Amino acid sequence: MRNRLSFYIPRQSLIHDLNPLTKLALVFTFIIVAFSSSWYWLPTILFFFGLVPLSFIGKVGKAFLRTTFRLLLPLFIFLFVMQSLFYPGGVTPLLSLWIFSVKLEGVQFAYLTGTRILVMVSSFLVLLLTTHPSTLMSDLTRRGLPGALAYIITSTLQIIPQMQGKANTIIDAQRSRGLDTEGNLFKRAGALLPLVGPLVFGSLVDVEERAIAIEARAFNAPCKKTSLIEISDTGFETALRWFFLLLMLAAIGSRIWLS
Amino acid sequence: MRLETENLGFTYEGGVEALRGIDLVIKAGERAAIVGQNGAGKTTLVKHFNGLLRPTSGTVRVGDVLTSESPVSKLAARVGYVFQNPDEQLFCKTVEEEIIFGPKNLGFTPEKVEALVADALELSDLGTRKDENPYDLSPSWRKMVAMASIIAMDTPIIVLDEPTTGQDALNIARIANIVSTLHARGKTVITITHDIDFCVENFERLIAMAQGRIILDAPMAEGLAERDLLASTYVEQPQLTRLGARLGLARTVGKPDDFLAALQELRQ
Repeated sequence: MRNRLSFYIPRQSLIHDLNPLTKLALVFTFIIVAFSSSWYWLPTILFFFGLVPLSFIGKVGKAFLRTTFRLLLPLFIFLFVMQSLFYPGGVTPLLSLWIFSVKLEGVQFAYLTGTRILVMVSSFLVLLLTTHPSTLMSDLTRRGLPGALAYIITSTLQIIPQMQGKANTIIDAQRSRGLDTEGNLFKRAGALLPLVGPLVFGSLVDVEERAIAIEARAFNAPCKKTSLIEISDTGFETALRWFFLLLMLAAIGSRIWLS
Repeated sequence: MRLETENLGFTYEGGVEALRGIDLVIKAGERAAIVGQNGAGKTTLVKHFNGLLRPTSGTVRVGDVLTSESPVSKLAARVGYVFQNPDEQLFCKTVEEEIIFGPKNLGFTPEKVEALVADALELSDLGTRKDENPYDLSPSWRKMVAMASIIAMDTPIIVLDEPTTGQDALNIARIANIVSTLHARGKTVITITHDIDFCVENFERLIAMAQGRIILDAPMAEGLAERDLLASTYVEQPQLTRLGARLGLARTVGKPDDFLAALQELRQ
């Protein structure tokens, strides 16, 4: 499959070897701490001294920085332009141009919001870059997440590249029958019809076949299931997760009672 | 219409080299069967004939047109391509509408479209089923609908991708009849198949591919004799051919008639 939907990069690293749940706990800790902290520079510090080193320990540093940059740059530009010009509490003008003036408070607010979003998105990236979606799902299933729910999530991730492939084949088949897919908008819209029918019908057939296939392999069996994929989990990691939980509670608590 | 590839090479995005230096000429009116193991590049090759894929290197010429310089919708008037899976192609409410789609796209007059559709319906035995929804038909009949929808386009060259897969003897006979009728009308028929018997009985030229190259290109009887070459791309000779060889017949046979004739000669 050429186009894939998951960010996962297979590597041998300390981060890859961590239990998915530990990584998930780590992600939420980062996010909650970043959002609940009243210290202005904390999200920045979390990103540069927490997430960036983690991504390099996980040997996915380059992809991490590149993806973060691509995902967030447009958002940041928008955020800074809007907030620095129109932040309601802005009183200290930095520079003015015609009726617009950039306010210090706006820039500060944009920076804080921006870095918080940065921590949120990039910590999930660390998880996704180092964890195969099916590993995450089978670990969560083992811990009691309903199998049907896990199936819905993983199959959705898998189905999109598959549907893309199918759509391409259908377009090829119709072009072979003289369908003109190039040209003006009207023509292109008309060309969609012969695509939608086979795609929708084919997908419904696929879903049915898939349902039969997994049912034939005892998907709904009521017994306790074993897993083919062994996911390591150590006492140290359990302790680590409790520590993260405390950290999250502390962060939320400090937000509620200290400010 | 003549079909010609010159030093055709194709590499998929992601680096898989599917075709390497294919030189092939298929003359008007030939019946050529392309065989070879899975992944040998058969489908990739025929997708170049109607421009669905464009060469990474070399050229493909259909008649006087270079495929790299012509849109697929134009090439569709020259090369008809029946896909392996009919479900990827059918979308209309009735069989008849489905068959009309192709010739209508090619801009024929209503009278001509009507005549072509009637002919395709008859040739594929779909006359009594023309008002049914293609999806209510069995998979083997859907395959016939897909085939009829290309026949109706009246292209000088027709490519059949795995026409006999999953078909019973009756349907294979229908497809064989279509091939011979098209041949009698002077059309070029090219097939990709794993069904060596179908190949022997209905085609006169055998092209075997392996690893993106043509390893064998010969008249059917000569090609069949190349046991080792065929085996190298996981194609087994037909049972009759193997039996003939074991009996020590003077020549390679593929069809029952040839076999009996050669057996007579051996007796005398």
